[in-house]
Amino acid sequence: MAIEIEPEKAQGPSGPVHAAPGNSKPWWARPAVHTGLIGAVIGYIIGHWLGNLISPATAGVSSFSTGLSDVRNWPLVLGYVFGTIGWLAGLGVFNDLGRLMLGKPLPDAEHAPAGGVAKYFRYTLDHKVVGIQYLFGMTTYFLTGGLFAMAIRTELLSPTYHVLNASQYLMVVGEHSTMMMMMMSSVVLGPFGQFFAPLMIGSKRMAFPRIEALAFWLTPAAYVILLSGILLGGFPTGWTGYEPLATQAGPGMDTYALAFGLMGISLILAGFNLIVTYINYRAPGMRWSRLPMFVWSMFTVSFLQVLSVPVLVAGLYMMLMDRTAQTAFFTNQLGGSSYLWEDVFWFFGHPEVYILALPGFGVVSEIIPVFTRKPLFGYRVAAAGMIGVSLLSFFVWQHHLFDSGINPDMRPLFMLTTELISIPTGFIYLVAAGTFWKAKITFSVPMLFAIAMYFNFLIGGVSGVFLSDVPADVTEHGSFFVMAHFHYTIMGGLIFAFMAGIYYWLPKMLGVKMNEKLGKWHFWTMFITFNSTFLPLFALGMMGMPRRVFEYQRNLQTLNDWVSISSYLLGVSLLIFLINLIMSTLVWRVKESGNPWRSRGLEWQVSSPPPPENFERVPVVLSHPYLYGVKDAPPVADLNPPVGVVASAYASAGLEA
Amino acid sequence: MSEATATPPAGLNADMEEAGFYHECALNGSWTASRLAMGGLSFLFGSFLFAYFYLRSLNSGGRWEGSGYHAPSMIMGTVMMLMVLISAGINYAAVQRIKAGHKKAWQIGGVIALLLGLATISMQIFELLNLPFYPASSGFASVFVGFYPVFIIVVLSAMIWLETLLARSRFIPGIAFVEQPPTYEEAFVVQRFQASVSGFTAIWNYLAVIAILFWFLFYVI
Amino acid sequence: MAESQAPTAAAGKAEPNHAVRIASIWLVLAIVADLLIYFVWQPHLPPGRMSDNARGQQFDITVMAVLCAPVLLGVWTYFGYALVNWRRRAGDTEDGPPIEGNGKVQAAWITVTSLIVLSLAAFGTYELIVPAGAGGGEGPVPIWKPSGVVTTAAWTPGSTHTLVVQAIGQQWNWTYRFPQFGGMETTGLELPINTPVEFHVTSLDVIHSFWAYQLGVKADANPGVDNVAFVKPLQLGQFVVRCNELCGIWHGAMFDYGNVVTASQFQSWATSIQTKERANGTLAALPPYATTYDPTEISQLGQAWAKLGIVGAGGYYYPGPQTGTPGDPVSP
Repeated sequence: MAIEIEPEKAQGPSGPVHAAPGNSKPWWARPAVHTGLIGAVIGYIIGHWLGNLISPATAGVSSFSTGLSDVRNWPLVLGYVFGTIGWLAGLGVFNDLGRLMLGKPLPDAEHAPAGGVAKYFRYTLDHKVVGIQYLFGMTTYFLTGGLFAMAIRTELLSPTYHVLNASQYLMVVGEHSTMMMMMMSSVVLGPFGQFFAPLMIGSKRMAFPRIEALAFWLTPAAYVILLSGILLGGFPTGWTGYEPLATQAGPGMDTYALAFGLMGISLILAGFNLIVTYINYRAPGMRWSRLPMFVWSMFTVSFLQVLSVPVLVAGLYMMLMDRTAQTAFFTNQLGGSSYLWEDVFWFFGHPEVYILALPGFGVVSEIIPVFTRKPLFGYRVAAAGMIGVSLLSFFVWQHHLFDSGINPDMRPLFMLTTELISIPTGFIYLVAAGTFWKAKITFSVPMLFAIAMYFNFLIGGVSGVFLSDVPADVTEHGSFFVMAHFHYTIMGGLIFAFMAGIYYWLPKMLGVKMNEKLGKWHFWTMFITFNSTFLPLFALGMMGMPRRVFEYQRNLQTLNDWVSISSYLLGVSLLIFLINLIMSTLVWRVKESGNPWRSRGLEWQVSSPPPPENFERVPVVLSHPYLYGVKDAPPVADLNPPVGVVASAYASAGLEA
Repeated sequence: MSEATATPPAGLNADMEEAGFYHECALNGSWTASRLAMGGLSFLFGSFLFAYFYLRSLNSGGRWEGSGYHAPSMIMGTVMMLMVLISAGINYAAVQRIKAGHKKAWQIGGVIALLLGLATISMQIFELLNLPFYPASSGFASVFVGFYPVFIIVVLSAMIWLETLLARSRFIPGIAFVEQPPTYEEAFVVQRFQASVSGFTAIWNYLAVIAILFWFLFYVI
Repeated sequence: MAESQAPTAAAGKAEPNHAVRIASIWLVLAIVADLLIYFVWQPHLPPGRMSDNARGQQFDITVMAVLCAPVLLGVWTYFGYALVNWRRRAGDTEDGPPIEGNGKVQAAWITVTSLIVLSLAAFGTYELIVPAGAGGGEGPVPIWKPSGVVTTAAWTPGSTHTLVVQAIGQQWNWTYRFPQFGGMETTGLELPINTPVEFHVTSLDVIHSFWAYQLGVKADANPGVDNVAFVKPLQLGQFVVRCNELCGIWHGAMFDYGNVVTASQFQSWATSIQTKERANGTLAALPPYATTYDPTEISQLGQAWAKLGIVGAGGYYYPGPQTGTPGDPVSP
């Protein structure tokens, strides 16, 4: 990581030069997905060979034969690690590093992505291209995870096993949960965070476009590695990867650790770039008190990622070392501890929960002022809420371990911190309530999704209060109640916000509108089937159904069947979305170049899709983005400020000379 | 904010203004990035610190160190720690020289710092391959075998960074460090180089502290 | 609720007092909901009334529901009212009133939510400490114990002495050992009514979680860790024991049933098993009772189970003696 701390090269005073190097070569000779694949295969072969080479060595070093770990892991793990490096090398990620090591200047490829569609399949440095890559990448993740979810529900149609056998069932559960967790962490930060980070703060650039593009290109590798777990028998631990079950599991477990680890690195890199960009690249006049709420949410989430995800990466690394180099981090009899995994995992795992929640808050807070035609109520409270949530989220992780026997005397403290976090979360509702007061509400599709987000997240949040109470948690812990709780916050909160974001921002990102009628169909079917799927799960958990089981009491079958059928209908609803997305962007292509929502947001002040440089000149921000209905409110920004205004906003030694 | 009232300095045009603006952003970004990287790395190393103290205090199965425990070589550990420390010290001293306008002095110091860093990495790999204990023999052994590869990778990344700085410094005329270069373009190049050097120095000093800390944990107590 | 004090400054002459309307609707709904929850729903709420813990948890869940229902209803009423009344009429392109904040409303909201949250935390702490951990796992050295009970080497019916039961999780079934009955091991669980029971939960392999649903007991079974939980059964009947932590392939099938019986029935059940196990040599084959077991003892346990005829949901997991001991290199 450290080596890439090399802020993007500033232009000389002669203005940006759009040299697009290598354009003269034919398309197949330039790095893109196909050369990446070749690199991946070569890398995998090298890694596999190396793994076989050192396997006998470590088998000799291994000092304990429980049959828990097996030497086949080395070739697999090194194969994937080198395969990923080969994939990145094939994409041309390391080319600029090579140039730097030779002391050569870097080409400015950021704003001149050549080619039409081809640029989406390359290591392209333009944040707008990266945002769209993320949008389609994360949608693929989401739909794949959704198919696994329907497989789970198919198995649960009957109280004993019938379609999938026991190990297939666990494999599907593991794939579904891990894929969704990986995807949800970047589903808003990826597409909208990357696309709108500079646009919303009035910048023409990102701080580290290479790191940003690298963050995206790790996600396809993680996707393939995770799915390859199916060929290796899957992994039996779900997304939590509890030890020592993970040490006992077969080679599929390695795919979990590697895929999740790669995604973790991707999250760290993406967050790192965003923080530096937000702090340093804001346009003149874009004070902290004028930052859009979406930027606040991305900013706090990025901090959570940069600080908490390294702990996950370290934990997964320890797991891999246990499985390959035969260390004993998590083996109780050898001086390790399975509690160590639980602590390390949840120390990441709880900030992760807010990594999933905060972007949703940001999206809806951005959308409601536009469709209520009112300023955001209590702007400072909203920002304080986000900061408060992200700080507190580091101090609640033990509530996942209330019954585990770890530090039982600390439970009152963690009960308190867990309940405290509902105060800053509640601010989001205060802000919404104030904004809706005497508003002029327009029921557009994004607004409908935003309202539904508030509805769903409320249920999720209130059920979280039940879980924070230790005595009540004794019944609810690890049951379907928990599962319903976090599906309400993540799917009901984040995914509804993501949908709101797509309908709201797609005209900006691609210059085409989503079909309104299909959108409304999508909304109503999704809202109804989502609640019909997940509301009964609260009851199932309360009635004693643990998570991740394929067998349950016969008297719970009716409810389970209801849930399964609803989940199929939810799948149909998402199919409507998929049809709408594909048809709207590829076939119908209804042009939308202006500002269809009459939004004051800075990103809407430029044409749609945004010009390559985002802004013609560095804009000067003049006022708050939410001043709807304010008489004589100044425009949000001066897009063409007179020469000298920007210069006066900074003191550069070079210019004053 | 003197938003709409500023009078443009003579000879300023929009492109120059923008270039200066993003130059300033990049300089600040370099500072922010190196500090943020320290934050992220602290959590990464902190996980191992936690594992160390957690397993040590738990001593599960009586095997924090276990029976028949052999300590890793104190001499090797101390030498490696000192090499990182000296490397950081030399780089720090060399940075003071380049601030005073002596490019050559920094280059020599930088090369020595780089070589010391690479020597540490090689020695660490040698030590890991010739340990007096099996990785699974105790909790201590696990944390030891787990931590040092991570540290090696981070140090290696820092050394690559140092190498890029050395490579770039060859193309910057020494006079540019002594007096203001004639064009903005050249001035920007020098300033950005200095920002990168100072970011690297911060990270490398930080890693030296980490090296001392873990040396103390693994070899002393 | 805080939103009932929302700003009314901008209300014109013809406009009704929205705040009063919303508050009235909310008040009626909240009172009705709370009465229904407390008096109608409470007796049916999980996990039932089979033990002291179960009753405590039922009460806790009820209290939470009584507190949360007004919150939910408050938000729903407010937003429902807003969505119905404050829509944009067709052809209206004006913006809404520019209300950027209201100090009083914000302060009131923060005060009210903080009070709710702090009182919930105080209530939860009390409900955790006073009933001795409320049925949750309390680690090897429980700090909150039931008062006035004694643990003795032998247990006799009719006394107030604690019955000690060790629940051992293993892939993929539960076994139970009774140190007060010569350390005998059973595959089923019977408990005497009105007797304080002390569960010691541990595991032989991976992490399981002992969940006796109707008894309101849940404690993780960690290898090498003794996790203690207390309960006092108060009703006769059957309860289900499930594994509540993903523990491998047959996790879903890792459940069995237990019974709460009278003290004398329990005494005769336990002594008959003890006699039988002594006679067929199982007791001698078992490793001595301990709070945790090392994997080196697994082979010994395996032999004892073969005698007992114990089969996990996935078949025999530990077929015989392990080939290695810690410290031995792997034979390639």
